[in-house]
Amino acid sequence: MTSQQVIFIILAVITLASGLVVVTNRNLFHAALAMMLSFFGVAGFYVLLEAPFLAASQLLVYIGAISILIIFAIMMTRRLMSTDESPFNSQWIAALFGTLLIGGLIIFVIVSVFSPFGDIIIANSAPPSLAVQESTVLLGRSFVDPDQYVIPFEIASVLLLGALVGSIAIARPEKES
Amino acid sequence: MFAAPTLNLWVITPLIILTVWAIILMFIDLFIPAGKKQWTGWLTLVGLIPALALTLMQWGQTGGAFIAEGGQPMVVVDNFATFLNTLYLLTGILAVFISVSYIRDAGLERGEYYFLMLFSIVGMMLMGMANDLILIFLALELLSIPLYILSGFDTGSDTSEESALKYFLLGAFSSAFFLFGIALTYGATGTTSLPVILDTISLDDPLALAALGMLLVGFAFKVGAVPFHMWTPDVYEGAPTSVVAFMSIGAKVAGFAALMRVLGQGFPMWGELWQPAIVVISALTMIVGNFAAVRQQNIKRMLAYSGIANAGYILIGVAASATDPEAISASLYYMLAYLFTNIGAFAVVIAVEKLDGQKGLLVEDYKGLAKRHLLLSLALAYFMFSLVGIPLTGGFTAKFYVFGAGVTAGLYWLVVIGAITSVVSAFYYLRPVLYAFMYEGPAVARVSRGLMFVLVVAVFATLVFGIFPGPWYELASQATFGNVATFVAGG
Amino acid sequence: MTNEVLQNWQFIFIFVALSPIFPAAPVILNRLLGPQKPNAIKQQTYECGIETVGDTWIQFKVQYYIYALIFVVFDIEAVFLFPIAAAWGLLGLFAVFEVALFIIILAVGLYYAWNRGALEWF
Repeated sequence: MTSQQVIFIILAVITLASGLVVVTNRNLFHAALAMMLSFFGVAGFYVLLEAPFLAASQLLVYIGAISILIIFAIMMTRRLMSTDESPFNSQWIAALFGTLLIGGLIIFVIVSVFSPFGDIIIANSAPPSLAVQESTVLLGRSFVDPDQYVIPFEIASVLLLGALVGSIAIARPEKES
Repeated sequence: MFAAPTLNLWVITPLIILTVWAIILMFIDLFIPAGKKQWTGWLTLVGLIPALALTLMQWGQTGGAFIAEGGQPMVVVDNFATFLNTLYLLTGILAVFISVSYIRDAGLERGEYYFLMLFSIVGMMLMGMANDLILIFLALELLSIPLYILSGFDTGSDTSEESALKYFLLGAFSSAFFLFGIALTYGATGTTSLPVILDTISLDDPLALAALGMLLVGFAFKVGAVPFHMWTPDVYEGAPTSVVAFMSIGAKVAGFAALMRVLGQGFPMWGELWQPAIVVISALTMIVGNFAAVRQQNIKRMLAYSGIANAGYILIGVAASATDPEAISASLYYMLAYLFTNIGAFAVVIAVEKLDGQKGLLVEDYKGLAKRHLLLSLALAYFMFSLVGIPLTGGFTAKFYVFGAGVTAGLYWLVVIGAITSVVSAFYYLRPVLYAFMYEGPAVARVSRGLMFVLVVAVFATLVFGIFPGPWYELASQATFGNVATFVAGG
Repeated sequence: MTNEVLQNWQFIFIFVALSPIFPAAPVILNRLLGPQKPNAIKQQTYECGIETVGDTWIQFKVQYYIYALIFVVFDIEAVFLFPIAAAWGLLGLFAVFEVALFIIILAVGLYYAWNRGALEWF
């Protein structure tokens, strides 16, 4: 086994095991913490796939911000620590069926694209057309280059501003009213 | 042939005006004391009216800005975009007139309402102008997020919050479909620019087919087409009525704008593939929308199903455009006429709605309206006639052109379904009119000055479209893609 | 993935592997070295030297949530700026304006949030 395969297996174990904890744990708060670990494993995959910017975004946005948001949301709920409810509700069979369907579909696609099966992990490891550090730099340039993505870039800031104003509009303290 | 300089800001000037004005308004609003927030509302017009004037000046011009990969512009302005931008700005202006007194009386008066609306209009305008799937997605979010907030603007009301939550969850769901479609398109073609997709896509690529399907699902959600319409009645019922009036036109037209551009400029040679899909969606939308509306007791829910049904009629033109790109002019004209009729109908609903505790929204609450408010009842009757498609109304000419486009394209049975469902629609559209004129009842209404203005404009416009449709249809037919020059990279 | 790339990340991997040791070491050393004579008062939950009242898992106020929402917005801003920072040496004056515009638009949002009292905890 190459070192990448070792790293891949470690990351896969972390991601899948913590993902399993997320859906089976009765304590929502602990499930959220497990989810952060799962996100971390995914960030590791991005590194393996030579997408350092995505890995950094995953760390900053998902682990840094989204998880905090979810934990705050959990802490705002009333029966915070009630662990008597099972995470399985009446629709878990349908959920299982849907998950198996999608999982089977993905496996089918992967197998059909990268046969023979054994090479799945490394078959696609041919480096992309850009060197790694370069891809982040190119992305940075394309954000501000008027001949590339400057308009989506600026629209994104307007979008964020709108989301900020909106979140204050629906959740701000009832001070003025 | 058009050679654009790289940074052709003229193209997006109306957008810049609206964005900058929204931001300035945020500052001004901080200094407007609570209780005087109608000033924020009227000041919104200071941004909307110059933007409208500039948009009208852009009529007949063709240009692109921010030349991206493949030498294609990210943002384009052509008659198609200008026509639709005019629609959004008119909707915005009329919505301001509707909103100012409504949200004051409903106790929702907060400045955020107006600049969120401005942000949303910027998103709508970008939907029609974007020439790149990434930008279309950003525009979609920019138009949707303020609408989610505005739906839940009545934070004290459970139905309003339910409406916002449903809208948000299903909207996010549909955005995911759309985004997945973009990703698959990129996988199939290596680009997100619509004209480059047109050049590079291969017809037998299953990935591209899946991509187109995902994109269609995303758009069908946004325009409220069957089978992706489930959110519409609940959202319309719960959201503040002035917001519903705004989004039932703006969001729908914007969804169609992007749908038409993606199909017409990104995937036109796949016409025989997507035409059957659009035909089926259109037929289902007309049937489900109209038949479900018959059962509604709440007038906002009824107008929600009416909005679904009208999306079906607009889709006839889109389906016809698969064989004849000029056919979308019928859909464009339909949206123009629908704008005024629909906003007029909502203005009547707002006038009758009693704001203490969500009353006056049932169809029965219109009983006896004509006794006290004859002119308002006549306006109601006229808008409902127009929605049915009775001659001498804008709704009639709109349906006439759309059915004509369908017949020309050979979609006979679709047109037959359209005609039959139009007859069905008379049952529910005419019920409030019947109640208003034929029954005794305690119905009262309050017509503020802003509402009066909207009613007069809507009646006048519907009348003009009903009697002199020719010049307006001529404008719409100049706004199709057939007349648009191909964009070429400029130095 | 080439070996060269792996080498670029080896420090990250080493940090990830080593970082749990630093918080874990004092706890474990304490457990091993310290004398253990528990009694009821020592076993109580420590909260700023005050006796704890009620359940520690209480329902939090919505203000924290707004705080987190605003944090998400500015976190995404940081993500957008990160690749630009990586490319900064190659960019011209135009880029400076673009980035300034981007930051100004979001700074307006911050000022607005501040003024609306969304940053107060009370």
